[in-house]
Amino acid sequence: MMMKNIGIKLAAVALVLCAALPAYAGKDGSALKIKQAIASTSVDAILAEVERAEALACDECIQLVTNLTEDARYEVRAVAAWWFAKRPALKKMLAEQFDAELLTGGTVKVRNAADFLSRTMTYTALPNLRAAIKRDVGAEAKLAIVRAVHYLGHKGGNEALTVAMTDRDPTVRAEAARAWRDIYDQVDAGPVLALLGDADASVRAEAATVVGGMKTLAGRGALEALVVSDGSPIARRNAAWALGKLGQAASRDALTKASGDESGLVRMTARAALGQLR
Amino acid sequence: MNHDMKSIALGAALVAALGGVGCGSDDNGPLSSIDSLIILQRPKRNDMGDIFQYTSYKAGARLVKLSPPTADGKQEVICCDKVPGFEQADISGFDISFDAKEIVFSAALSGSSRYGLFILNLDTGAVDQIPTDPGRHYIMPVFLPGDRIMFTTNALEETNARQFRDEYERGETSQLGRINRDGSGEILGPRNLSHRTFPTLASDGRVMFTQWDHLGPLNAGHLMYVNQDLRELREGFGKEGTGASNSTLKAREISPGRFVAIATARNRTIQSGALVDIRLGTVVNDKGIVSAHDHATEANATFKVLTPDVPRGNEPSADSVGRYYDAFPLNAKDSPDLLVSWADGPVESGVLGSAGLSANFGVYLYDSTRHLRLPILDDPEMWDIGARPLQTRTPPPIVGSASDASLQGQVRIGAMNVYDSTMKSFEPGSIYGVRVIEGFSSEEGFPEDFGTTMFEGQASLGVAPVRPDGSWLATVPANVPLAVQAIDAFGMALLPEPVWFSGGRGESRVCGGCHEKRDSSTVIDPGLTDAAAIGPTQMFGLTPRANRLSALADLTNPNLISTAAGMKAAGHEKLVGMAWDSAIQSVLDAKCVSCHGDSNTAGVAPYTITDPVTGQSASWTFNLSGAKKPLVVGGMDLAGEWPASYFSIAGPDMEALEKANLVASGNFKVYAKPQHARDSILIQKVNPTQLFPEPNAGRRAFNTTPHSTGNYAELTPTEFYKLILMADHGVNYYARENNPRLNNY
Repeated sequence: MMMKNIGIKLAAVALVLCAALPAYAGKDGSALKIKQAIASTSVDAILAEVERAEALACDECIQLVTNLTEDARYEVRAVAAWWFAKRPALKKMLAEQFDAELLTGGTVKVRNAADFLSRTMTYTALPNLRAAIKRDVGAEAKLAIVRAVHYLGHKGGNEALTVAMTDRDPTVRAEAARAWRDIYDQVDAGPVLALLGDADASVRAEAATVVGGMKTLAGRGALEALVVSDGSPIARRNAAWALGKLGQAASRDALTKASGDESGLVRMTARAALGQLR
Repeated sequence: MNHDMKSIALGAALVAALGGVGCGSDDNGPLSSIDSLIILQRPKRNDMGDIFQYTSYKAGARLVKLSPPTADGKQEVICCDKVPGFEQADISGFDISFDAKEIVFSAALSGSSRYGLFILNLDTGAVDQIPTDPGRHYIMPVFLPGDRIMFTTNALEETNARQFRDEYERGETSQLGRINRDGSGEILGPRNLSHRTFPTLASDGRVMFTQWDHLGPLNAGHLMYVNQDLRELREGFGKEGTGASNSTLKAREISPGRFVAIATARNRTIQSGALVDIRLGTVVNDKGIVSAHDHATEANATFKVLTPDVPRGNEPSADSVGRYYDAFPLNAKDSPDLLVSWADGPVESGVLGSAGLSANFGVYLYDSTRHLRLPILDDPEMWDIGARPLQTRTPPPIVGSASDASLQGQVRIGAMNVYDSTMKSFEPGSIYGVRVIEGFSSEEGFPEDFGTTMFEGQASLGVAPVRPDGSWLATVPANVPLAVQAIDAFGMALLPEPVWFSGGRGESRVCGGCHEKRDSSTVIDPGLTDAAAIGPTQMFGLTPRANRLSALADLTNPNLISTAAGMKAAGHEKLVGMAWDSAIQSVLDAKCVSCHGDSNTAGVAPYTITDPVTGQSASWTFNLSGAKKPLVVGGMDLAGEWPASYFSIAGPDMEALEKANLVASGNFKVYAKPQHARDSILIQKVNPTQLFPEPNAGRRAFNTTPHSTGNYAELTPTEFYKLILMADHGVNYYARENNPRLNNY
């Protein structure tokens, strides 16, 4: 059904503009080469041919690349969206449909929509991204929503990230924590602090990085607990790095202990962090 | 692992058949004094077509020691099969310490973790992580003297900012950084607008690396130098038509002033290509040791292709020709012996991908005199790369740069005499000043392109007057890409330098001239420039990025620039970014649309774009209104998402027309030429009046009749200058002032 819908959209483009021309063979890229790359199933071949058709005026390419916006592989969806971003009028047509699907689609549709809308810098999708993260669309789609908010980097996505930080899937929570740091005009890591006590080690590790990277002093106590007692060497390492970034003298005991950690991931990080304390 | 053994056995047989160079029993070969090699083995892959790609992850990489360094040598995995936490690691690059007791390498421990830096102790096998930001990638480590390590990274120190995206706006760029061996003292270098990659240490203490240069039509990877403190950026090799290919990468010093490197295209070549022997200066052959240190400059550089049949573009390589991934020189003969990684067949990502194959890089000893490869190690399931001897080496001197604390974190830039130039002959007195432009990419929140011209985002930081002796100085923000344009009294660029450069906090980057000769000195008399005596022009040096933009009220004020005598065109410095919808459309609406709007009462003839194969065509009529009008060709609306005024002046994406073999006929004109206001039809038509040092309505830029003479509205000095800035900024639609990210959603 998705294919048919996109087909309808493209027919509408032709109808509205009344001047669509048939395919042209470019000097380098061509519809045929994109077809051959798609047939190969190779991600790198597809990326190479779509990039090669960056500026190609090619009617036949439109449907081929439209299909790629629904590919199972993120890299392929991303390059397809990039190709449409170079064609703002077509991008706008597709974005309108993808935006609507954030509110109605299942896991795959929401995933594809989120990726397309972010890679084409469609900020107007933020309201629906905020709404979609609250739907029961599955971890894969929620990861894509978080990825989209991360890519857009707009504070209008903060609500989606804070919702994602409470998701039952740890990969969603970790990705949301990671994204928080890279949003423009973000003040501190406040909403991430709770994730320092998350049940999942990868979430704790990611949260520690964000709290340190954003120098949120309120995280010091939790980080000190992590660095000396967390079962994950990755979480201990990240906590040590974060405490160095906070630079608080009160962390000296915890970091001194961590400098003798059994893991080579932690020891030097803790020693370097000690040198950063004021 | 049976296939490994078969491969090695085959290799051994070949070595014996070809004369045994490097075999353990031959003490005269280039490997005879080497006990063992360190080789990186990465599971083969096919997702590294782009030379700047650095995030390819596949578990199972390892560092191996091959002793002796021959096809029948013993392989020993030295990292990191026995280290907890490294079970799923990928290793992307490494370097051996000067005392050959440690290896620094870059690894990602899982598919969801970023690449970090690790130290392997070769005596104990212990691995310690160097503390870097766990949320960012750190790759391509290189030991520096003084217990330091240089690397590339996507980390940045600027707050509330993101790392630049590359020229296709698809990848996050990597930049240079440095950290102490003990994990302290991390510094991140001044950033390029695109990637910096593959650093390598030279014997004079400087670091050579590949920089991606992209400014409008320039789109190539060149070799550059920096000091160990990431300052004193200098050209190395490849610019101004001196290169062997679009991109030159993975340079390694053969002898002073001489490097072996990979010459290739930017993409689809799996970061591999032909081997070139680069000589930067006068070539000296001292008893068989060839070097090129004297007069070493980019302008004097020559190169010799060591692998004549290997493509230097991105076409598929032929069977038995293949491509080279890297090379390590074993001596400095005129035709050196090299340790190389080479793969046979069509090493081109698209072809390989279509065939379901991956390049199979193996380690070979390459005799560049006879163009013979002798196999050393080739595991068909792995990329065997980065081979180099495990042996001590002499560290070069520690090279640092001066830093001026009085700059308070800004950068001082300038020139001693702008008239000293190899690029253009200037009439004395023809240069009023130098405009400094800050560049940025879509990372600030823009769509993929800033307009149809493929130029980066630009913001004017100001104009520094050229003093009577030809000198100029300015203080500008540190760590941001900068471009300079010598401008005339009308504010138009006379010579836009086609590259971005940047400086670190407290750094002074003062050139001899305006792209002066690189192998001679600029002499000034009496020893102090006028600009130094007067002091630098202040250009947003301490202003945060988000505030380096125009006020919207200033952009639409037609009389922003003062015309009063003695005011020196005050107000021009408030014009920073030329956001089309406010800065330019306001001029067009006020002075142009009445004749050049939808009704086209001026009667400008249209142009037609035709497909010569089908004969189908579409037409466009000059229109300076802010409305959007479609122009659909080949299913692609070239115009419809831009205001008609923008499309009329900037023209279509010329690459799109060219690649589609479309033909433009009729009254086809592109009215503004990116970076060249002086050569732009629009600017010539309106014929600006003098702006600097004082506005002078009695002096015109061109000896032609200005458009206003026909009883049309005259533009104000502010309006003239905005149109000029628009052109000299690359004819973009977007600037910081109309960044879509600044709206609420």
